[in-house]
Amino acid sequence: MNLIVSDRNLAVFQENHPSIKFVDLSILNIANCVGCFGCWTKTPGKCVIRDDAVKVYPLIAASEQILYVSKIKYGGYDTIMKTMLERNIPVQQAFIRLFQGETHHVQRNVAAKKAVIIGYGDISAEEQKIFCRLVERNAKNMSFESYSVKFVSENEVEDAVRNEVAIWEK
Amino acid sequence: MGKIMMINASPRAPKSNSKEYAKLFAQYFSSETEYCEVKKSNHLMLCQKTENFSDILFVFPLYADSLPVTLLNFLKTLEVNPPQRKPTISVLVNCGFIEPEQNNIAVEMLRLYCTTNGYPFGSVLKIGSGEAILTTPFRIFLKAKIKKFAASIKTQKYDTFQVTMPISKKMFIRASDVYWEKYGKKNGVTKEEMKTMKIEE
Ligand SMILES: Cc1cc2nc3c(=O)[nH]c(=O)nc-3n(C[C@H](O)[C@H](O)[C@H](O)COP(=O)(O)O)c2cc1C
Repeated sequence: MNLIVSDRNLAVFQENHPSIKFVDLSILNIANCVGCFGCWTKTPGKCVIRDDAVKVYPLIAASEQILYVSKIKYGGYDTIMKTMLERNIPVQQAFIRLFQGETHHVQRNVAAKKAVIIGYGDISAEEQKIFCRLVERNAKNMSFESYSVKFVSENEVEDAVRNEVAIWEK
Repeated sequence: MGKIMMINASPRAPKSNSKEYAKLFAQYFSSETEYCEVKKSNHLMLCQKTENFSDILFVFPLYADSLPVTLLNFLKTLEVNPPQRKPTISVLVNCGFIEPEQNNIAVEMLRLYCTTNGYPFGSVLKIGSGEAILTTPFRIFLKAKIKKFAASIKTQKYDTFQVTMPISKKMFIRASDVYWEKYGKKNGVTKEEMKTMKIEE
């Protein structure tokens, strides 16, 4: 499955792209993770907060190609995207394994994925550097087998997404 | 230096490891400390309060390789409601995995925040195995590091410290298996159930 998870509405959402699933987080109701570990130790694989996030993390897990579109804040994802990423931990087990020489959680049924991250906003060089290092770390916890990061200004987002969609649909 | 304001930005602050780390810090810090927790509705009150302190210590967990949303949102409020005199900001971050270096990105994000917003940057303590170390005999190593960290802030000889359980990664994994199995058992959930590969099914 090809998936786009975005923190804002995109015009490209209005068109028909049968091979791509779009998720616009900005219209969903997603509370922040409270760190209860219920998804590991009470109802494994399911978050105990039954809001819209529970529809999103199964899609993220199943996707083989994923495009994240997020505003950048302080060198990381801004609130909307970060909230979803924190709510994504039901896709992992509590149990830990050695992965690329570091300790990381065992993943449940999560497809290995090719990821593209479009970070937008007015992003300084320093922030870009931090964000790239962040995605490099995310890759290990979020099953990216390969990834690329693109930075654009707010009004370039639509074009950047269209480019990626065109590559997927080729 | 004067007083330090310890701000716990764990989403589960009242029951957090961060709270325990802050308690230990207060024990070893020889000047006055005040402990606060970030809640959804108290951002402005906390921002005003920073005015009375020479130092801030952010205490928080690593969430998805970076700052938890609780802290991110508070920083956004602080950015538009800053104190007139900028306190020095120090960082006490803990992560679940054994490698304290996994906290590096979060530290860099806060360092950048300080540079951009004109706060002097103080000391850093990065804790690995932060979910477990408090309840193990290795607590003594943790305490010794917190003591050094506190002294560095007190004397304004700012530095970066890190601590974790001094065991091999393999042993850490075995110990964490036991930890999580017990955690599940308390909820009546078996190890096999916890190991389900299914997501929302
Ligand atoms: C949503 C979520 C994301 C987490 N992400 C990470 C991570 O990326 N790396 C890590 O080492 N630990 C991670 N942890 C583990 C916490 O950092 C660890 O449990 C910590 O001790 C919690 O501290 P607290 O009790 O002060 O909140 C995560 C925990 C949660 C609930």
